[in-house]
Amino acid sequence: MSEAIASMWAPRSAWAGYAKPGRHGRTQGEAGVRLTLRDGIGLATVIVADGQTDALRALVSERYGWTLPEPGRAQLFRDRGLVWSAPGQWLAVAETREALRDLPQAFRGVAAVTDQSDGRAVVRVSGRNARTVLEKGVAVDLHPRAFQAGQTAATSIAHIGAQLWQLDDVPTYDVAVARSFAGSFWSWLTEAAAEFGYEVEQGPAH
Amino acid sequence: MRIRCPHCGERDNGEFSYLGDATVVRPDGMNASAEAMHDYVYLRDNPAGLHRELWYHGAGCRSWLVVTRDTRTHEIRDVSSARDVALARHTGDAA
Repeated sequence: MSEAIASMWAPRSAWAGYAKPGRHGRTQGEAGVRLTLRDGIGLATVIVADGQTDALRALVSERYGWTLPEPGRAQLFRDRGLVWSAPGQWLAVAETREALRDLPQAFRGVAAVTDQSDGRAVVRVSGRNARTVLEKGVAVDLHPRAFQAGQTAATSIAHIGAQLWQLDDVPTYDVAVARSFAGSFWSWLTEAAAEFGYEVEQGPAH
Repeated sequence: MRIRCPHCGERDNGEFSYLGDATVVRPDGMNASAEAMHDYVYLRDNPAGLHRELWYHGAGCRSWLVVTRDTRTHEIRDVSSARDVALARHTGDAA
């Protein structure tokens, strides 16, 4: 009985019912865009207490070896670290929720930490047409002379609040939207990517 | 029109909401006269020229901003964090 109940509570992907792994859109040639569903990613907002920014900076460096990013910057190493999201606020990112488990305790008295792992839907957008696809809906200039690896923007995409950060010069982007908007965002993203052909894949399982 | 958010850089004005005159200060409700409260709640200047006004960057960093805008041309002279403006105002009070 208890086994049956446990199995009813299996985690459900934020993209479930929308994203189907495989090749879609234009069928000729290599797919121009790769969409990697980042289920299982660990996310938490970190909001610093008044006047504690220096203490937080020291803590993240000592405890985690991270750097506290300046406005508009993302400091990630191997998919772990912090992404700036608002004045005095950052998004902690890791491959799994488990990796962020001790954050609230570690930052006690210095910053408030709130788990967002199930609150956002995250997709990695890569491939040679990744920038062109995102540019269709992002009002922020993504040209390399204005936006590069290690930069982040909190903005809206097709009227959907989104935070994106660029991981490398290929370029590769991670885009996070509120989970309840996953379906609307997916419909915009796949419509924008269809002309280049896109490949949907599940991110690493954790 | 674009607004250069001090935190996010230049952004389309669709990311912001307009919240009106940034210079009015709420009177002390326990002591103020009815006229003073009426002025504070209802009466606004409508200048042809520079206007300091509150904007909220809701689709970006969710910060309140004080924007100095020329109402004749939409030229924006200055954008500051409303938090900094409020803190400076309190420091001014204390001095």
